[in-house]
Amino acid sequence: MKKRLYLELENCIGCRSCLAACTQCGGHEQRNRNYVYDVNPLVNRQTMPLMCLHCVNPACARSCPAQAIQIHETGAVLSALVEKCIGCQNCTIACPYGIPKFDTEQNLMYKCDLCIDRTKDGIPPMCASVCPSNTLQWLTDEEIEAKQKQFHLKNGKWVTSMPYLEGETNVRVNLPGILQGVTKLY
Amino acid sequence: MSDKNNKVPFNEDNYTHNINRNNERKLDRRGFMKTLVGAAGVFAISSLPFGALAAKELSGLSDKKYQKHKITDVKSISIGDAVDFAFPGEHDSAILIRLSENKYVAYQNACTHLRCPVFWKKEEGEMICPCHHGKFDVKTGEPIAGPPRRPLPEIYVKVENGAVYAVGVKRYEA
Repeated sequence: MKKRLYLELENCIGCRSCLAACTQCGGHEQRNRNYVYDVNPLVNRQTMPLMCLHCVNPACARSCPAQAIQIHETGAVLSALVEKCIGCQNCTIACPYGIPKFDTEQNLMYKCDLCIDRTKDGIPPMCASVCPSNTLQWLTDEEIEAKQKQFHLKNGKWVTSMPYLEGETNVRVNLPGILQGVTKLY
Repeated sequence: MSDKNNKVPFNEDNYTHNINRNNERKLDRRGFMKTLVGAAGVFAISSLPFGALAAKELSGLSDKKYQKHKITDVKSISIGDAVDFAFPGEHDSAILIRLSENKYVAYQNACTHLRCPVFWKKEEGEMICPCHHGKFDVKTGEPIAGPPRRPLPEIYVKVENGAVYAVGVKRYEA
């Protein structure tokens, strides 16, 4: 029963629960590894969470000269291995979403690893398990397809512009802008 | 649009470029170096007992105990004659020379040059190695001619109730 993280961005209420949960996830050393952005700062109040999308072909791991970023068998792209990371910050530059963070004190990169201790056993990651507004969900592929069927998209695509963003990701994102008069049932 | 972004450009199941956790090698370069250093450490530590044995042997040489070994009877060796024997081991050939009524000398007779057997020339009164004409002083075992540079190891002898016994080997001091 493989489940994936699914982001339903327009649900976000900007409560930062995911950040707080991330700091408390095992092995995260009280640092959060995800972001909550204002979509249109000073224009409206809509926010959106952004965590690592766990690319199938991850630019961060590709760019790492020491192969410190490994892909887990579940598809999760792990945080930098402490013993391999050389602190060159290539990954922070390479990632199109700006996910990897850099710890200047330890000279190490750290990023979301999809709470691999939990997700490898089918438990949802911390952020998804605390999200109060169902922005972050932990769903099977069938459930995600069922969600897709709720929408009648003009371009026949699940997201507004592309089948995926920069490349195929293991985390699925529903981009806002596809709500066309549909009353949402969470 | 196309899936060109998802083309993995080369087979990544290799030693030098691998980002798949399941392809992680059991023995990567660092592990290999650790193994190397660890093995060196194990060898170093396991050689310590032998070092201890050697030190014990070297420090205990001065008072090393030898089995008393009967060489010959006094009446079967006349003055100026020599008799061959082996001491302390059966392959350490040695020679006993009776110089006078009560003076016996004994040496391990392997020449210190190339270990040819040194023999006693009664007429010249000296010990000669036939291989390269090395000569040894019969009183002290010091080399006096030819290639040898070190004295013959002296064997301590003792006369007890009509027989000559070898009781020890003098330690060589450079």
